[in-house]
Amino acid sequence: MSATMVQRKPGLGFLAGVGTVFRMETRQRLRTRGWYILLVVWFVVIGLVAALAAYATGAWAPDDGAGYVAGSGIGQVMFELVIAFVLFFGLLVAPALSANTVSGDRSAGTLAVLQNTLLTPGQILAGKWLAAWVSSLAFLVVSLPMVVWAMTYGDVYLPAVPVFLLMTAVEFGIVCAIGVGVSARAGRTLFAVVSTYLLVALLALGTAIAYGLSFQLVEEQVTVSAQIWPDDPWSKVQYNDAGEAVDGQGEVIKDQDAYFTQIQEEADSYTIDPNAYVCGPDTYQASIFHTERITWLLAANPFVVIADAVPTRASSGPPTGSGIMNALSQGVRGSQAGLPGQAPCQDGKKQDVAVSADAGTDGAPLWPLGLLVQLCLAALLLLLGRRRLRTPVRRLPRGTRIA
Amino acid sequence: MGIQTTRYDGGGPAFAHPEPLGVVATGLVRSFGTVHAVEAIDFTARPGEVTALIGPNGSGKTTLLLMLASLLAPDAGSIRICGIDPVADPRGVRAQLGWMPDTLGVWEELTVHEILAMMGRLYGASKASAAARADELLGIVKLAEFASRPARVLSRGQQQRLSLARALVHDPQVLLLDEPASGLDPGARIDLRNLLRDLADRGRTVVVSSHVLVELDEMADRAVFIAAGRSVSELTVDDAGARQRRYSIQSTDPAALAAELSAAGVQASVADGQRRKPTVVRLESETAAAELLRRLVLAGVPVTAFGPSAGALEESYVSSVGPAATDQAGGTR
Repeated sequence: MSATMVQRKPGLGFLAGVGTVFRMETRQRLRTRGWYILLVVWFVVIGLVAALAAYATGAWAPDDGAGYVAGSGIGQVMFELVIAFVLFFGLLVAPALSANTVSGDRSAGTLAVLQNTLLTPGQILAGKWLAAWVSSLAFLVVSLPMVVWAMTYGDVYLPAVPVFLLMTAVEFGIVCAIGVGVSARAGRTLFAVVSTYLLVALLALGTAIAYGLSFQLVEEQVTVSAQIWPDDPWSKVQYNDAGEAVDGQGEVIKDQDAYFTQIQEEADSYTIDPNAYVCGPDTYQASIFHTERITWLLAANPFVVIADAVPTRASSGPPTGSGIMNALSQGVRGSQAGLPGQAPCQDGKKQDVAVSADAGTDGAPLWPLGLLVQLCLAALLLLLGRRRLRTPVRRLPRGTRIA
Repeated sequence: MGIQTTRYDGGGPAFAHPEPLGVVATGLVRSFGTVHAVEAIDFTARPGEVTALIGPNGSGKTTLLLMLASLLAPDAGSIRICGIDPVADPRGVRAQLGWMPDTLGVWEELTVHEILAMMGRLYGASKASAAARADELLGIVKLAEFASRPARVLSRGQQQRLSLARALVHDPQVLLLDEPASGLDPGARIDLRNLLRDLADRGRTVVVSSHVLVELDEMADRAVFIAAGRSVSELTVDDAGARQRRYSIQSTDPAALAAELSAAGVQASVADGQRRKPTVVRLESETAAAELLRRLVLAGVPVTAFGPSAGALEESYVSSVGPAATDQAGGTR
């Protein structure tokens, strides 16, 4: 034994092995027609989405001043819609590209051949993941013309574009890692593909459903009263039971219209200070929701991760359009901020939480947490898959064979 | 079908094996759940020999080969491939070992040459030497004209030859072939036989499992019989020839033949199962066979055919494996 142990170490570098597996995978994929058909279908669908977005936002209206004006927000709305659809379709395509890699080799009888070379399980997984990821990135590349189209309207917030591309690539990579991990773990290709779709659905839909259902758990009954801004001309108006405006003595004001016009003029010159309110005398019961306790449920949602990570124009800047991704980011951060906006007056007392108009955008970013959760899930699945690829095999799952 | 001895930079220098040890497996046990695929197998294959692994379907041949190929861990027992333990150092074993599985697995969209070149790369060869080795192997297995065709267009026999070339890509010291002859046409079988003999003559350890016993007769030096997960016997092909065997005799005058056989005191029976109904006798050795033939001819019996009714290994197979195989089929394990 000792005499033979001095034999040379088998020479296959980690990167060389990964590279060869990667080349084997990509060459096979590049030679199947289905992949190209999928790319063309993808291009057409994303193109249609972009065109509809352009139409809906009025970009095609005649330039008569009422329609498209440069910088009016059309490009941004379109850009965000394209983001959302690229991500949505990517979540549909990436599992299909990744979940058949290892299990497909297993059923074709080629996995054992690879395992019998100097490749380590890690190299097999890394090569297959890289191949799946690169082929899913091709779909991102095909979507670029639509992004450029949106940018031609001149109002896309430029720092958002590279961040969007990077984060989408990262999300594709995570989904591919999940797919490859499940694929290595699963006995059958169909099972691997379905499981990967379910895991992706868990992230994309399950998180939203869990968030929605959890509202029950964080509901709280509180006594609230109306906010009153004493300096606001409208809050000085008093009404009788019939809904008519009355003066200080309770007499109905004769010319209601003239009175309201006058109040409106006063209100127009009044600048509201959001924090200069008092709590009204009338109290009533209301439900408030501690959404800050459940917003983390949304963190791992790929849409939330991208919406939250992609920067938007500072709200103090010139008014521009904002699309669905921005709205999603605002909503999530508002949810994370929790109570302040929901019940400014509790038990007749003013809550000492400053309410600012843009509380949403000031909230802490949620996407790092979401990315971490996703990475942990992918790493766990890859680890489980790697264990299944180790040879010599000790325990073989029922109904499977090595070769 | 000579083998050029191109040095293969991924396979290491030939003098790295001062003491070539071949394959030594002792006391192997392996079960899958309640199925005891291998119950007690001892197996030895020596360098410079072609060792046949013979046994009925389900006797544990493939399970044994998977364990030898470092893909399956035995429940008990020990394996040494060139002195290396595949459980402790699978990659060390794989550098020395070529394995041709019984299931055909090919990367359908890759070309024949690409498959061999990439496999070479996976054993650590440089790009250039892997490509050169692929060319060389395609010549050896006579697939050169298919080099740039995708593997999916190959026939079963061609895929089988590609699989064999793949197992040889790193010029392994030990070659494990699971049913290599199935699907091959007669010409390719002869090529395979010559190739394996050639490899053995160059000091490689060659293990072949097969049902085609006549094939093994002609190329194997040694045979290991297994049945129902146990090694039943081991013998050299020369031993097998020296054993008691059946001979079939045909004559244009069956009555004269029968009379002379009974006069010689040889028990004879007529094989019903065969088309020409030869007379079958059981003889102790080849010397006894020669003696009987001389007597028949001298007695004027018109003998048209006289020869062993089956190959030496088939005889041994039936005598050593037969009862156990029947036993296995009857019992539920």
